[in-house]
Amino acid sequence: MDLQVIGKVLPRKDGIAKVCGKEPFASDIVVPHMLYAVTLRSSHPHAEIIKIDTSEAEKMGAICITPDEVPDFTYNERTVSIPEKTYCDRKVLPRRVRHVGEAITAVAAETEELAFRAMQTIKIEYRILPSVLDPVKAMEPDSAALYEDIFLGKQQLKVKNNIACDRNIVIGDPEAGFAAADYIIERDYNLPRIYHHQMETKTVVCQPEANGGITVWSTTQTIHNVRQLLGQIFELPLSKVNVKKLSIGGSFGSGIQMNSTIPICVALALKARRPVKLMSSREDDMHNHVKFPARIKLKVGVKKNAMIVAADMQVLVDIGAHQINAFPLLGCMSGWYASLYKWQDFRFEGTAVYTNKVPGCAMQGYGNPEVNFAVESHMDVIANECGFDPIEFRLKNYVGIGDEFWGQGPTVKSIIKSCGVEEMLKVGAEKIVWSERRPCQEKTGRYRRGVGIARGFHTSGTGGPKPGEVIDYSSATIKINEDGTVDVLSPVMDLGGGTGEATVKVVAELLKVPYDKVELAIVDTRTTGYDVNTHATRGVYCGCGAALHVARQVRTKLLEFAARILEENFDDLELSYEPEENTTIIHVKGFKQKQITIGEVAKLAQIYSWGTIAATDSYRQKNCPPCFVAHFIEVEVDTWTGVVKVPRAILLADSGTPINPDMLAGQLIGSLSRGLGYVAYEATENDLETGELVCGGFITDNKIPTSCEMPLLENIEVYFAHTYEPTGPFGAKGIGEAALNSVAAAYSNAIFNAIGIRFYQTPITPERILQALEGGISG
Amino acid sequence: MEKRLIKLTVNGRIRELSVKPNDLLLNVLRNDLQLMGAKYGCGIGECGACTVLLDGQTALACLILAVTVEGQEITTIEGMGDHVQLHPLQQAFLDHGAVQCGFCTPGMLLVGEALLKENPCPSEDEIREYLRGNLCRCTGYAAIVKAIKSEAKALEI
Repeated sequence: MDLQVIGKVLPRKDGIAKVCGKEPFASDIVVPHMLYAVTLRSSHPHAEIIKIDTSEAEKMGAICITPDEVPDFTYNERTVSIPEKTYCDRKVLPRRVRHVGEAITAVAAETEELAFRAMQTIKIEYRILPSVLDPVKAMEPDSAALYEDIFLGKQQLKVKNNIACDRNIVIGDPEAGFAAADYIIERDYNLPRIYHHQMETKTVVCQPEANGGITVWSTTQTIHNVRQLLGQIFELPLSKVNVKKLSIGGSFGSGIQMNSTIPICVALALKARRPVKLMSSREDDMHNHVKFPARIKLKVGVKKNAMIVAADMQVLVDIGAHQINAFPLLGCMSGWYASLYKWQDFRFEGTAVYTNKVPGCAMQGYGNPEVNFAVESHMDVIANECGFDPIEFRLKNYVGIGDEFWGQGPTVKSIIKSCGVEEMLKVGAEKIVWSERRPCQEKTGRYRRGVGIARGFHTSGTGGPKPGEVIDYSSATIKINEDGTVDVLSPVMDLGGGTGEATVKVVAELLKVPYDKVELAIVDTRTTGYDVNTHATRGVYCGCGAALHVARQVRTKLLEFAARILEENFDDLELSYEPEENTTIIHVKGFKQKQITIGEVAKLAQIYSWGTIAATDSYRQKNCPPCFVAHFIEVEVDTWTGVVKVPRAILLADSGTPINPDMLAGQLIGSLSRGLGYVAYEATENDLETGELVCGGFITDNKIPTSCEMPLLENIEVYFAHTYEPTGPFGAKGIGEAALNSVAAAYSNAIFNAIGIRFYQTPITPERILQALEGGISG
Repeated sequence: MEKRLIKLTVNGRIRELSVKPNDLLLNVLRNDLQLMGAKYGCGIGECGACTVLLDGQTALACLILAVTVEGQEITTIEGMGDHVQLHPLQQAFLDHGAVQCGFCTPGMLLVGEALLKENPCPSEDEIREYLRGNLCRCTGYAAIVKAIKSEAKALEI
């Protein structure tokens, strides 16, 4: 295939604005007569609010809202799942707080300083309730309850023993499988809560409009879900709720939902009848969401010939104070587990439990990094104990081409049609010289090096042959301008990974128009069709899938109009790019002399009053192909200090056709940094007495990796497998979340290879390493 | 709180501003001068998103009171280059894919510029050490380091 732009490195469409500091983010939005808002947050993990006195603040000229002044509506911030599978338990402002840092009231004033000073005068009377901070104790019958009732869709549910939801899946007969096994290996893994640490804190600006509606600028991954939920909460017609699409300063899942500050800001703006801006402080932001933690018990049965015959996984997720997406999370975790290896007969038991902590929400990987750490550590444990080569063992049992993939839990499945696992493991092994890897017993001295391997994947979107529990489709509008340039209107948020460029490239490629003649329009919910969310690694596969679908319709219109102008048959015409003139022409097949440029077609269609050459449509992908990854990581452990360095990392990806190779490499390398943070440094845990975050919400004590923790440039190698996904736009699949998923296990497996100590809990800090070295026990 | 009149040079232009003694430089730049390139990331000097150059040296605008920079010269990202004439380092960031979400980018560019002024041919370790105070959650820093390194090489020739 002759690809003009796909796979080429081309400048980001938003690049110049971003390097010049001119790209507007929600936090840069300024509206005339705007007020600034702050939120007052709970200092208790669990308490009933008896009284809120805002009189002093109001005397200072501030506008305040309390639970009595906002709609009494129970909602879930995330509306990706279908309504009957969405658990709802939160209010715009609660009458009972369920974690330290939950917003109770909000204040708007002429300046941020005045708002802050006014907020400090507000008096809250609490009735302290017993708090629940340990997820295991939370399920004991005498434990205090966070909720009496919640809603599943419109149905009211009783909450028993703080169990938010659970999912139990059995495939085949696991007991019979274990009975036939030669080895049964069982371990417990423990992954912590960590904070997204997107660089832009959650921000929202709301402007009330003269027609009774609102315009909203916010940090979000989904403008359309924000629009719909705001319409529901505030009983506004959707035609009067407009949410603007704009750049977001990182997200990593933190904007997958309509964040709770958004309706708070809307309520303030409606009360004040003026625009209001609510920009979270970093501390407030950290009290808003964290990544889901997980305690995973995994048991696997294997035959002497290295074939797996049975598995059993039990997962406990401490979701904190609200259900944002716990039910789909458990489903996805079952799917990530089910799709890694052919377990034959297996069981999954997942439980999500409420505690008085910051709510857990999606963060890059959505349960996959947790499951992957357990399974890929376990594969290493089995290989080591049973004497298998870790790579051979994986290759014997992995789920690959022709097998079933659970892209979004048990209800969204498709058959794998492209797979680069074998190629990546072979190439990775060659690059790291796997054959020369020595066992840990042979390593001595202060500094010990080790090499680890782990592999993983993520889904590309949540499409499937049948509609499942999650909504998945995208829309696009494409228009040919009268000079042959092209406007693309896409509701799909680009979180920085290059989804926007990929969309432009797909349209440019199909219409044979140069990249610099296709632009992404500035859009909002009013000017675009629905897109569910930039989540589930679906931006390229699903978002660009929709753009390709619409571009085909535009091409048909172009050819139809050209056929009328040239007085030729539609079927005899084709599109070509003429590099010398830098134009796109429509010509008679095999006879270029009879031609017209697409700009001329558009202009003539206008002059003849035929109409604009444009199309709008929606498109659902009917597959959810896995994008596979493999990580080969080398570590060097200083056995005197416990400090670990990463001298080398090989990052391999099967993303189908690489549409933006530079951005694809950027995703892999960025994920290496985040993965190192996850496995080695980060934990956003709570004090189990006070319920407060141990770091207090400050990043000083909750740091992410800096530039110094990464391997040197020459020691990071990126490799793309040579695959083509037949269902993807020009053969492409996703990469975003996959890029992270197996970093942690590869690192931990490398540490085992260096010092012979297996860690079952992250982060694997120098303190934990030293403790394990001194105690001679596993971490 | 009584406002004070201060005079400073911002991106080569002399500005007279009326500020309160407790106004942060970051807020004055963003709210009074509409220079939105310097970002709020943490407010406690930990992330570097608010980096500006103060008399050519990197400074964290979220920790500096505007009244204290009276008479000084401030460069924000808007003073580095624009779409008509990009600064070579801005171009290098584009060429090396050093921009993802773009929120840390202004700070990274100004730090890179300060480093290259101070040390025209830094080693990779020196670049990494210099960038240490500027956090990026997207890129893993490699492309940013590469972009700065490419400009260091250019100077070397």
